Amino acid sequence: MFPKSSYCDGVTRRDVIKVGALGALGLNLAGYLRLAQANQVAPAKGKSAIFVFLGGGPSHMDTFDMKPDAPAEYRGEFKAINTNVAGVQICEHLPNLAQCADKYAIVRGISHTLAGHELGTEYLNTGNRPVPSIIYPGLGAVVSRELAGRPDLPHYVAIPSTPQKAGYLGVRHAPLQTNDTPTPGVPFTVRGISLADGVTVADFERRQKLLTNLDTTFRGFESDSKLVDGMDRFAQQAYDMISSARAREAFDTSREKPEVAERFGTSKFAMSCLLATRLVEAGVRFVTVTFGGWDTHSGNFRACKEKLLPPLDQGLAALFTTLSERGLLESTSVYVTGEFGRTPKVNDKAGRDHWPRAMFSLLAGGGMRGGQVIGASDDKGMGPAAEAITPDQVAATFYHSLGIDHRKEYHTSTGRPVMIVREGSVIRGVF
Amino acid sequence: MRWSAVISLLALFLVMRAHFSTGQAAGPEADLPLPTTAGAEPGEALRPADERFAAAGGPEVPSFQRHVLPLLGRLGCNGRACHGSFQGQGDFRLSLFGYDFKADHDALLGGDDEPRVNRKSPLDSLILRKPTKTIPHKGGKLINVDGWEYNLIKRWIEAGAASRSEAAAEFEALEIEPREIVFAKPGEAVRLRVRARWADGSREDVTPLCRFRTNDETVSAVSDAGVVTAVGPGDTHIVAFYDNGVATVPVLLPVSEQNGSRYPAVPTPTRVDELVVAKLRKLGVVPSDLCSDDEFLRRLSLDLTGTLPAAAEVVAFAANRSPDKRAAKVEELLGRPAYAAWWATKLSDFTGNNERIGPQGGEQGLNRAKARQWYDWLYRRLRDNEPYDKIVEGIVLATTRIKPGQSYAQYSAEMSAYFRTDAPADFAARPTMPWFWARRTLGAPEAKSLSFAHAFLGVNLQCAQCHKHPYDQWTKQDFDQFAAFFNGVKYGPTDREGSKAMLTAAGFGGLDEDSGTFKRKFVDLLGEGKVLPFKEVTVPAPAREDRKPRKSAKAPAGRVITPRLLGGEEVVAAQYDDPRRPLMDWMRQPDNPYFARAFVNRVWAAYFNVGIIEPTDDLNLANPPSNKELLDFLADGFVSSGYDMRWLHRQIANSRTYQASWRPTATNRLDERNFSRAIVRRLPAEVAYDAIVLATASDTARALLDADPANTRAIGASSSVSPVRGGTNYAVGLFGKPARAINCDCERSADPSLLQTAYLRNDPEVFALIDRKDGWLKQLAADKAGDPKERVRQAYLRTLSRLPDERELAVAVGHLSAAPDAAAGMRDLLWALINTKEFIVNR
Repeated sequence: MFPKSSYCDGVTRRDVIKVGALGALGLNLAGYLRLAQANQVAPAKGKSAIFVFLGGGPSHMDTFDMKPDAPAEYRGEFKAINTNVAGVQICEHLPNLAQCADKYAIVRGISHTLAGHELGTEYLNTGNRPVPSIIYPGLGAVVSRELAGRPDLPHYVAIPSTPQKAGYLGVRHAPLQTNDTPTPGVPFTVRGISLADGVTVADFERRQKLLTNLDTTFRGFESDSKLVDGMDRFAQQAYDMISSARAREAFDTSREKPEVAERFGTSKFAMSCLLATRLVEAGVRFVTVTFGGWDTHSGNFRACKEKLLPPLDQGLAALFTTLSERGLLESTSVYVTGEFGRTPKVNDKAGRDHWPRAMFSLLAGGGMRGGQVIGASDDKGMGPAAEAITPDQVAATFYHSLGIDHRKEYHTSTGRPVMIVREGSVIRGVF
Repeated sequence: MRWSAVISLLALFLVMRAHFSTGQAAGPEADLPLPTTAGAEPGEALRPADERFAAAGGPEVPSFQRHVLPLLGRLGCNGRACHGSFQGQGDFRLSLFGYDFKADHDALLGGDDEPRVNRKSPLDSLILRKPTKTIPHKGGKLINVDGWEYNLIKRWIEAGAASRSEAAAEFEALEIEPREIVFAKPGEAVRLRVRARWADGSREDVTPLCRFRTNDETVSAVSDAGVVTAVGPGDTHIVAFYDNGVATVPVLLPVSEQNGSRYPAVPTPTRVDELVVAKLRKLGVVPSDLCSDDEFLRRLSLDLTGTLPAAAEVVAFAANRSPDKRAAKVEELLGRPAYAAWWATKLSDFTGNNERIGPQGGEQGLNRAKARQWYDWLYRRLRDNEPYDKIVEGIVLATTRIKPGQSYAQYSAEMSAYFRTDAPADFAARPTMPWFWARRTLGAPEAKSLSFAHAFLGVNLQCAQCHKHPYDQWTKQDFDQFAAFFNGVKYGPTDREGSKAMLTAAGFGGLDEDSGTFKRKFVDLLGEGKVLPFKEVTVPAPAREDRKPRKSAKAPAGRVITPRLLGGEEVVAAQYDDPRRPLMDWMRQPDNPYFARAFVNRVWAAYFNVGIIEPTDDLNLANPPSNKELLDFLADGFVSSGYDMRWLHRQIANSRTYQASWRPTATNRLDERNFSRAIVRRLPAEVAYDAIVLATASDTARALLDADPANTRAIGASSSVSPVRGGTNYAVGLFGKPARAINCDCERSADPSLLQTAYLRNDPEVFALIDRKDGWLKQLAADKAGDPKERVRQAYLRTLSRLPDERELAVAVGHLSAAPDAAAGMRDLLWALINTKEFIVNR
C-alpha cells in the first residue's frame, strides 16, 4: 500500500512479508516470544468493545474515587456508600452501579499531564500522548481494523458522535456516526443505514434495480482498477446493510423487550447504552458512546447530583447487567473514561477544575476481572498514591482483552513505524 | 588488477542476451560481466574491500568511516531491529543507520566487562565473536571466521581501531554502473558496480559495502552482492546506499514486443507527449486513444476547477466544431472563479491552513477568521495569476508590520481593522500572509523546518530529526543546520507596555488572557471596530550575538550550529535582515532541486492520480521520478515562465497524454505510473460533495453557485473554515478532506469506503439535496409537459456529463413509465445516476 521508499525505519515490504506468518496472529516475533514467555498467549475473550467517553472530565472525587476522610474542602458534598464488593465504596448517587460492582474493575490513580480538553481527549481516545506529526487512530479505528466484522453491519458505530479519528489507518476505518440518540419507544433511524423518511423497502429495491441496470460503464474493467473493484465491494456491502433486517433491527431500540428497556430508563445516555448493547449483540465490533457535560468548573455538586450521575448510574448499570444476562460481558470489553479528573480541592464556585494528575477509568468484560480496584490515588486525590498508571497502560490493557497486541506496528503514510500504543504495557492484575 | 583486465577476463563468460538502449547488456545469472559503460573511468578507483581485505593480514588498514561502519550498516547491525534501536540490543547501541561517528566509535570501544573491540587481543573482540556466532548472538550468524568481512574488522582492530580522523576527506558522491538496465526477459541478471568519490579526489569500488534495494520487487530483485535480476515486466529503480550517498539505476523489462523500433506510430503533439512516449516506447506500452469531447470536458472541468460541467456547457462543447476547442476550453476555465476557488483550497492543503491550530491566548477566538484570511489571500493571487514564487515569498518572508516606520499602535489599528464586522479592511490586499508562522504547532524551530520542507520543498525531513535518514542523504546534522534558519522566528507579544495600555483602555483590566471571557470580549470588541493589541511575527535582529556562528551551549558536544541549506551552502545568517531570506533566495535559484519540482509534481499528480515522483511529498534520492526528463522539462519551463501557474496547467491539460482515454489498450492495462492512460480516480472530497449539489441544482441555483464558488461551494473557503453549525462537514469528512494537521499530502484521501457508499445510497442529506426547493426536480415539476426522453438526456448531462446511449435511454424511459408517478420516476433516476461509480469518479 505504501511505497517502501518512504519507510523511515528501513523495513522493506519483503521484511514485512517475512514476519507475515506471525503477523497474521497480530503479533510480531519479538512480541510473540515476549508474550509466550509471560504465559500470555491465551485466546482473548473480547470479541467486541464498548467505549464510553465522559467528555469534559468527570470528577474522580465525586464518583469512583471517594475520599471520605479528606478535609471538607476536598471531599466535597457527597457520601460514599458500600457496593456489593466488600471494601469497595463509590458515590451515593451511583446506587445501581454499587449493586453491580462485581461486574467491573475500577482503575484509580491514572495520571497524565495534559490539562486541555482537546489534547486530553485525544490522549484518552487513542492511548497515545498527542504529537504534532501524527494523527493517531482512535481505539475504534484500531479495533475495526484488527477484528473482522459482519459484512451486513458497520464495524464501528459512534453514538451520537466521537472525537476519535481514523488517522493514518485511513477513511475506511472511520466510524458511522448516528448523530442522534434514540428516543424511548420511537423507532430509531440512522443516517445511511436506516431507510430515510418516506422511503420504503420497495422504493429502495426499485431504485437499486435501476442502478444495477445503469451502472455499467466500467463493467468488464473491474480488474483494471482497484478503485472500481473496491467500490463494487462496498456497494454490495452497503446494499446488504441497508436491506438486511439485522442492521435495521439492531439500531431500532423500540424493538427491545419492555422489561429490559425499562431498566435503561429514558435518558439520552442510557438509551445510547441500550443501543450499544443491541449493536454489540448483533455483531458490531466497536461502539463508542459519548456523554458530555462533565466540565463542572462551577456548581459541580448540583450538576453531578441532578444531571450527570443519575443517567450515568442507570445507563451503565443497565449496560453491565444486560450484557451479563445475555452472556455477552465475557466477549465484550467495556472501557469507561473521561479525559482527566478534576481538582481535588473545591473552588470558590463549588466547582472543580481540570486535573489530569489523578483520574479514574472503569474496565469490564473481555476477561477483565470485575469487583476489584486497581491502583490508588493519595489521601486527598491529588495524584497517584504509589506508581502512576498511565492512559497508555489502560489502553494497552483494553486492547489486550480483545486479543490485540498493542505493540503491533503500523506504518503511517510517511513511512514511520508506529506501535498501536507506543508507551504502554498491559496492567497484569486486571485479568 | 585493472578494471579493464577484469572486464576482459569476465568477457569470456559473456553471453549477449539483449541489447541495451544506453549501455549494459544482461548475462546469465552466474559469472556476470562487469559494466563497461562508456564514460566510466576504470583504473582509477581502489579495488573493492572484499579483495583488498580478503587476507588475514596486510599493510593496508581499513578505515572506520569508509569500511567498518558501512560494513556494519550492510550487515544490518545499526538497523532498527538490532543495535540501531534507541534502546540498543544487549546493552550495545549504534546510531540508527549510522553517521554519528563519535557515538558509534565510543560504543564499539566501550563495553563493561568484555570489550566489544579488544585492542590488546583483537580476536577476543565481541564484534568478531558475536557476528560469527563463535559465542551466542541473538542477531544470528552474519559473517564467517576468516571471511573478508571478518578480516576487515580484525585488521582495523589490530591497527588500533582508530575513529574517523578529523582531517579525513568528506564523502562526495556515489557513482553507479550501468546507468540503466533494460532487460529482455525474466531471469536475466546484471551485476552493479558502485564507486564512492571523496573530496580529496580518491575513488573506491564500494560495491561489497553497499546496501541495495529494489523499489518494486515484482519488476526486479537485487541481491546483497548487487546482482540485479529481472522478475516481471514494468519499470522501477534499484537503489544503492553507502555512507550518506544514494545512487539509483532505472531498470525495466518491456511489457510487450512493441518496443523500440517495433513501437507503433503514436501522435506526440506536445513536448510533454514526446517525453512520455519516449519512456513508453522503451517499455513497450502503447497509450490509450484520445478521449471523447465529453470525457475531456468533464475531466478538465473537475481537475482544473473542481466543478461538474453544467448540462448546457456539455451540449455546447459537443456542438462546437472548432479544431482547437479543447485548448480554448482550457483558457476559458483558467479564467473562471472556480479555478481560483479550487486551487486556493489545494494551496491551503499544501501550506497547512488549519483553523484549529491557530495561536492560543487572547487571539484564539480569531482563528476561524484568520483561516479565512489565509484562504482569501491565496484566492486573490490565484485569481490574478500571481507568480508562484511571489506567493510563496509572501508567506515565507511574512512579517506583520508591513509599512516602514509603522508604530505598534498603528500596526494594531491596521490589524484590528481586518476583523471588524462592518466593512472590514481588505486582508487579501496585504503583501504578506503571516499566519503560516503563527500556528501553535509550529513553535519550535524543528517543527517549523519540518513544515517548511514539506510545504515548499516536498521533502520529508521527519526521519532526520532523530537519526540518519535511511533512504536519503540527510543526517541529523543536516536537519539541525536547516532548522537553525528558524531560530527565533516566532509569533508573540512585542510591545507589552503598549499592549497593556490598549487593553486597559478597552476595559480588559484584570482579565486573564487565557480565559474564555477575555477571548470572547476580544472578538466582540474587534467586531465593533475597536483597536486592540496584536501579537507579531518577529525574526531575530541581525546584530544579536546568538545569530553569529559561535559555540552554543545548546549545540550537542559544543558543535557550532550554522544554518545550512538542504544539500547546499552554509549561510552566515547575520548578514541578512531576515534569516528566511537566504532560504527564499535559494529556492528561487533556477537549479534548486526542490522548489519548482515539488509544485510541478503536485500539480501533475492532481491531473494524473500519481506524481512523476510519488508520493508527492517525498522528493528523495532513493525515490527518483518515473520520468526524469518530463519532470525536468516541466520544472525548468515553469521557472523560465516566471513561475506562471497557468503555463503549467496549459502544458499539462493541452497534452494528448492528459487527453488519453481511461479505456486500456492491450499493453497498458497495468500501467499506473507512466501516464499511458487516464486513471479512474474518486473525486476529491469537496469536489464530490459539490458534484451532488450541482447535479441536483435547478438552473437558477446553479448559476448562483457558479457566480461565487469561493463563498458558496465546498471547494471554496468552507474547506478551510468550518461552518458554524452542521453544514457539509460530515460528507467531506467521509470523503477524505484533509485536516491539515500534519505534514503529509497523504492526509487527503481518495480511498473509497463503505460509509461513502452508504451516504450516497441512503443519507438524508442526499435525499434533501435531490428534493430541495431550488433543486432540479422541483424545476421539472413545474413543467408538466416535459418529454421523458429529453428529461433522461438532461439527467445524464447534469450527472455524467454525457448523453445516454440507446440502451441506457431505453432502460431509463422504461423505468419512468413504470414508476408510480412522474416525480417518483425522475427521483429514482437522479438517485441512480448519482449512485453510479461513473458519477463519483473522474475518468
